[in-house]
Amino acid sequence: MLAIVPSATLLGVEGRPVSVEVHVSNGLPGYTVVGLPDTACRESRDRVRAALLSSGVAWPMKRVTVNLAPSDLRKTGAGLDLAIAVGLLVASGLLEGSSVAGCGFLGELGLDGSLRRVPGMVPLVAALPGEVAVVPSSCTVEAELVGRHKVRPVPTLAELVLALRGDAPWPDPPPPGEDPPEECEPDLADVRGHRLVRTALELAAAGGHHLLMVGPPGSGKTMLARRLPSILPDLTADEALEATIVHSAAGRVLPSGGLVRRPPLRAPHHGASAVSLIGGGTAQLRPGEVSLATNGVLFLDELGEFPGVVLDSLRQPLEEGVVRVCRAAAAVSYPARFLLVGAMNPCPCGEATTPGSCRCSDASRLRYQRRLSAPLLDRFDLRLEVCRPDPRDLLAGPPGEPSAVVASRVAGARALAAERGVRCNAAIPGARLDELAPLEPAAAAFLEHGLRVGNLTARGLHRVRRVARTIADLADRSGPVTAEDVSLALNLRCEPDRLGMAS
Amino acid sequence: MSPASLGGADRGGQGAAFVVALAGLPRMGPVRLGAVLATWTPEEAWGRVQEGGLHLVAAVAERSRGLSEDVDRAWSSAARATDVGDLWRRHVEEGVGVLLPGDSAWPASLEDDPEPPAVLFVRGDPSVLARPTAALVGTRRCTPTGRAVAEELGRDLAAAGVCVVSGLALGIDGAAHRGALAAAGAAPAAVVGTGLHDTYPRAHAGLAARVAGAGVVVTEYPLGTPPAAWRFPARNRIVAAFARVVVVVESGAHGGSMHTVDAALERDRIVLAVPGSVRNPAAAGSNGLLLAGCGPALDATDVLVALGLGGGASRDRPAAEPAAVTADQALVLDALGWDASTLEQVADRLEEPLGPVALHLAELERLGHVARSGAWYSRLAAPPPDPDPDLRPPHHPP
Repeated sequence: MLAIVPSATLLGVEGRPVSVEVHVSNGLPGYTVVGLPDTACRESRDRVRAALLSSGVAWPMKRVTVNLAPSDLRKTGAGLDLAIAVGLLVASGLLEGSSVAGCGFLGELGLDGSLRRVPGMVPLVAALPGEVAVVPSSCTVEAELVGRHKVRPVPTLAELVLALRGDAPWPDPPPPGEDPPEECEPDLADVRGHRLVRTALELAAAGGHHLLMVGPPGSGKTMLARRLPSILPDLTADEALEATIVHSAAGRVLPSGGLVRRPPLRAPHHGASAVSLIGGGTAQLRPGEVSLATNGVLFLDELGEFPGVVLDSLRQPLEEGVVRVCRAAAAVSYPARFLLVGAMNPCPCGEATTPGSCRCSDASRLRYQRRLSAPLLDRFDLRLEVCRPDPRDLLAGPPGEPSAVVASRVAGARALAAERGVRCNAAIPGARLDELAPLEPAAAAFLEHGLRVGNLTARGLHRVRRVARTIADLADRSGPVTAEDVSLALNLRCEPDRLGMAS
Repeated sequence: MSPASLGGADRGGQGAAFVVALAGLPRMGPVRLGAVLATWTPEEAWGRVQEGGLHLVAAVAERSRGLSEDVDRAWSSAARATDVGDLWRRHVEEGVGVLLPGDSAWPASLEDDPEPPAVLFVRGDPSVLARPTAALVGTRRCTPTGRAVAEELGRDLAAAGVCVVSGLALGIDGAAHRGALAAAGAAPAAVVGTGLHDTYPRAHAGLAARVAGAGVVVTEYPLGTPPAAWRFPARNRIVAAFARVVVVVESGAHGGSMHTVDAALERDRIVLAVPGSVRNPAAAGSNGLLLAGCGPALDATDVLVALGLGGGASRDRPAAEPAAVTADQALVLDALGWDASTLEQVADRLEEPLGPVALHLAELERLGHVARSGAWYSRLAAPPPDPDPDLRPPHHPP
């Protein structure tokens, strides 16, 4: 007998519908899975068998063939276990075919018949064709995000069988679990002094400008960067869904509400490989850190310690906002629109930004600075040196402005950008700069001087103008950009060869 | 053409070509070269080096303060691979002069030196060293203020007819050379620690060419000698030997300039130091020298007096004209002070927002009152007398 049960598998961050066809016939007892299963999927046999036996259902002593259609799509992970088990029950006559009509099944089986969560529940449910989605109880919130299906959360296979036979009602969804303690975002009020860097953070948040901080150890680069998400506005509905799908596909635990509403902060260690950053993998294509940071912040601490190849792989996502990962098996694209924040020491001893303090040789300094390629450095609109704060500020200075106040200014500037029809000021196309960021005569003269004496390149010019626009927006000045805005923007964008060359 | 006929005949049989080849051996420094040449004639020495076994010759081993078998082996294998005639021809073709002790052009200041070089390679005119000489030395990691002071001293000393000697390194050295070249006065001299085929650091290739064009660039290493850490302190002793007065402009507590000072004191040269801010780590060494009793060099007059040229010229310099800046800019200059400060520090002192202060600092930088390096702004003594008309600030509408 034949049964066909709809399910889905994950390709990148997208779900693809899979129909699980189970054929049970007379012959030598055996079990075959065809249709490009990966190892985890092929091993479903043992899980399904044990789960059925534990749930009090006999394993048919017949010839069982499972086909996962379409057969040219590689099926990954254990998410098809439940569909295979249900198909087997239907094909061997233990369940009525009509009872599963219109249902899609997702979930991994434990040997005791319990259902376990699988990564990517959001895109997987989105790919189910029917009206009912049967999912493990632990995935209820995620599965309900899609909103198109009647979600039936089930804790065990035995309860599912009872419900499908009509012998028992569908199990209740689990009570909303204890909210994990709200992860408190660190607040900018903790930062004393550091006016310039605070300004730079605010600009980065308001204008979407990538930020590079260079400074000695202990100057507070990491502390400052970790506070950037606290001044970013909440994600819009579309952004939140996009971020949630990526986080779900990566198998990360979603916040209690299901949606990722706050901009995520990802801070991979500098030992990260290019694949872990960009996404990919041979067995299963997984999103990388750049995609997990989408609509949020990617913070690369100790930027100079990342291998050059890894850093240069960021250039394409920075430019296009998506990552296209191509492997022999498949090509997928992930969203990757993030705010890049880098922090590094100016030289191996870390002191080169303080005049006269560096103890490194010229050669070692040069080697250190060459780790960042010029094209990558060019992507940073804001490049500044962070100095150690004044000890008096640390002990007795007034507390800094709290994040909430800064965030309201940032939201205002973002709204202005949206009125102009751009996502943020950093995305103003070069052709529209004259229209959106016109220069006062004094400001133009200023930039002309910079170009002439060579501390500004033609490419830098556009970036400085965008930053100046954001500075004016934050000060609530809508007219042309003034010389003040431009000089502050120039101050916040050290040319790379000057960074850390103070001494 | 046999090597013996190259440079040997016209040099009173000294075999300059062999000296050049000996100086080019790996791990060959002035002490070892002196030891070898004191034992044999250059040609004999070359033969002995090729044969090997020099570490067993008591006279050489003693004079060179110990010679290991490793060194001997390195020498003999390098010597067997070297074509003396070729090396000599390269020097002739590249226009590099070779000076040996006793030559008429051999600098007089090296006559009674405790550790003289055995040979000098020069590009340019070594006779500039016959003028009164002053060495300007300091750290490579100088502050903009230090750089400005070195440049001023170089300019004023050259204008007063003093040959400015330095090491062509980054920082103070380069600034001193640049200053000396800017004055239409005495030509400068540079002593470098590599062969003259290349400039170290590369960034100073143009500067080296200008120094060689006006004055002279000197080294004790033949063409093809790469930079090595130990050669720079050795170079510093020649800087000290050439100079009658050594001026330390800005030096960390353990900088290479301290080698120059040690070498200068060993040779009874006068050492002066430019006082720096007590908060400036780059001036810790030079301030330490003052503490130890060195004379201060506040400007070129002090150096000229030490050279016996100034004759007690009064220090009554015309009072620096108040900078021609607006009232707001003057406030920013006052807040900046004379220590390097960041934009944030200046704005904090003024209790002003960052934007206007950034604008004033940028204006002041353009006018030449302020120099920026990275995040740090330093006040300069006076703007250059006549800025390039192209770089003058455009007129701002009120």
